[in-house]
Amino acid sequence: MQTTGAPVRTADDQPAGGAASADGGAASAVGSGAAGGGELPRHWPLLLAGAALVPGSVLFLLGRWGDAPAVQAWRTVCLAVTVQALPFLLLGTALSGAISAFVPEGVFQKILPRRAALAVPVAGIAGVVLPGCECASVPVAGSLVHRGVTPAAAFAFLLSAPAVNPVVLTATAIAFPGNPAMVLARLLASLATAVVMGWLWLRFGRQEWLRPAPRHTGHRAGHSRWDEFRRAFQHDFLHAGGFLVLGAMAAATFNVAVPRSVLDTFAATPWLSVLFLAGLAVLLAVCSEADAFLAASLTGFPPVARLAFMVVGPMVDLKLIALQAGTFGRAFAVRFSAATVVVAVACSALTGWVVL
Amino acid sequence: MKRSLQAGLLVLCGLGLLHVSLFTDLCLRYVKEGMRPPLIASGAVLILLGLASAVLDRGGEEHREPDGSDGSGGAGGHVLDHADGFDGSGGAGGHVQDHADGSDGSDGPGGHAQDHADGYGRSGVRGHSGAHENSGAHDHSGLPRVAWLLLLPALSLLLYAPPALGAYTAARQPPKPVAHPGGFDPLPRTSPLPMTLSDFTSRVQQDRGQAVKGRVVRMTGFVTPGSGGRSGGWELTRIILNCCAADAQSVKVRVYGGPTLPADTWVSVTGTWHPDGTLGTGSAAVALDARTVTKVPRPVNGYQDALPLS
Repeated sequence: MQTTGAPVRTADDQPAGGAASADGGAASAVGSGAAGGGELPRHWPLLLAGAALVPGSVLFLLGRWGDAPAVQAWRTVCLAVTVQALPFLLLGTALSGAISAFVPEGVFQKILPRRAALAVPVAGIAGVVLPGCECASVPVAGSLVHRGVTPAAAFAFLLSAPAVNPVVLTATAIAFPGNPAMVLARLLASLATAVVMGWLWLRFGRQEWLRPAPRHTGHRAGHSRWDEFRRAFQHDFLHAGGFLVLGAMAAATFNVAVPRSVLDTFAATPWLSVLFLAGLAVLLAVCSEADAFLAASLTGFPPVARLAFMVVGPMVDLKLIALQAGTFGRAFAVRFSAATVVVAVACSALTGWVVL
Repeated sequence: MKRSLQAGLLVLCGLGLLHVSLFTDLCLRYVKEGMRPPLIASGAVLILLGLASAVLDRGGEEHREPDGSDGSGGAGGHVLDHADGFDGSGGAGGHVQDHADGSDGSDGPGGHAQDHADGYGRSGVRGHSGAHENSGAHDHSGLPRVAWLLLLPALSLLLYAPPALGAYTAARQPPKPVAHPGGFDPLPRTSPLPMTLSDFTSRVQQDRGQAVKGRVVRMTGFVTPGSGGRSGGWELTRIILNCCAADAQSVKVRVYGGPTLPADTWVSVTGTWHPDGTLGTGSAAVALDARTVTKVPRPVNGYQDALPLS
């Protein structure tokens, strides 16, 4: 997307740049001089033709295909995921902004156990306090890392918060009436996955996978805390919001392209159905507050497979991978998500075998 | 991304959310009614944030030291962006550019070309090293271009809101399994009897007392054209959400008889159970022999299995 967008934009901008520097005076001439804006670019007739044709044909195609039922369904689902997630993302980024602006340096180190191996389960259990879905937890975990919390503990929090908070557990209890074992199994399997992933990061994680994001490093003397909060909030929201839209597009594509009737073919084999529902949770990107209802409706599948759906969904899905790539970097998001899927499937299979 | 553009983007997102939640009912095409208060609040917060950013940062830029060394101004963003474009050639060149851009208050042409020349993946790393060169000053100004993607939902909400999910989605889904815990109460005496599609489904397939037998019922939903299956007819459909349109599920009742209507037409149907299979067991067809089919307006909140309005 980035690479295809770039040449078109430059094509638009450079002729305009030439015009601006011609009548804009010395100040903008300095600005455009570095880009060689005084002269026309080498293939300027080609670029001009492109600039004239591309927007027109895009508009035509949009008008032509934009109203096809599949495209409309895609746009509806894409907007729905975005609209549903935005309030939670806003809550999460406000929290992360508040953490970096108002929480003094060193507080988290005092609260959390000194030893990282102990801090991981404590952080995992602390996920209970963040009500809401998974979009909120990514920016919060990001700001925790930047406030000096050991990454392993922050990741345990990142994974457990969307799955074990009271809102989600209540929704699970409502979706599976008369089946409290499912709620317990979800709680245990999610916590276990979060803690195991934290420990795995301690053992195998590498600092260089994490992108050292260019961002605020907390409160500095001589600055208004409210001002810092506002800037951090704004930056984190715009940043994560862009990735949210990217993830929503990917999720909508799978949502529309894969008909739900494919499901039934996989329901028969137990181990295959576990893997299939785990994969489905990644592709569909349903909110963690709603996935219990969807899991409850997949009546053809064994309970273990439905548990895997509910454990994997809040931890790894397309919009989360996009959000994590934005916050922590792509190298991290790919490795971490892949490992999390494996651990989550193993944990839910084990828990389901014992509890259900 | 320039500070003023960021503010504009925030305000647009906020307006989009307020437009669909506060001024119109469009949000009900995507999410449930319960999401409306959070959406209104989010829209208001985004607009406030954008306005605050536009007002405060503009005021700040005027008194700020031109070299941006206090690290939180819009100027900082430019230094970073241009430093990226120059392939990390250092802060000095960036500063020159920055003054040029800042003085006329608009993104200079050179700046645009440079912006697009580098990918966002690189800019993160570069931006960081740039921040170090400039004494760790410019932190959260260098946004990746991916933030522009927010423009798509914002504009779509404001100008080109897609319709609610309908027949296309329902036709590609298996019907939602309807469970009815507990026993069935006797049906009221009214005729035709208003029913929801879920209620009809569970009565037909699970009510051993066969209370629905011989009764004229009335249901409302939209038309999903028949897939040319074994017995023809079309499907009276409702789409139900748990959270948002991504988890939509459909309940369907096959309808025999009546006129052929285009997909997504909202209709009210009266009729009796279409005898096929044993009523009250899983073998019973969830189907209706239609007596009357009348067009009705689309309900404001279509994503629920509600009783037909009389």
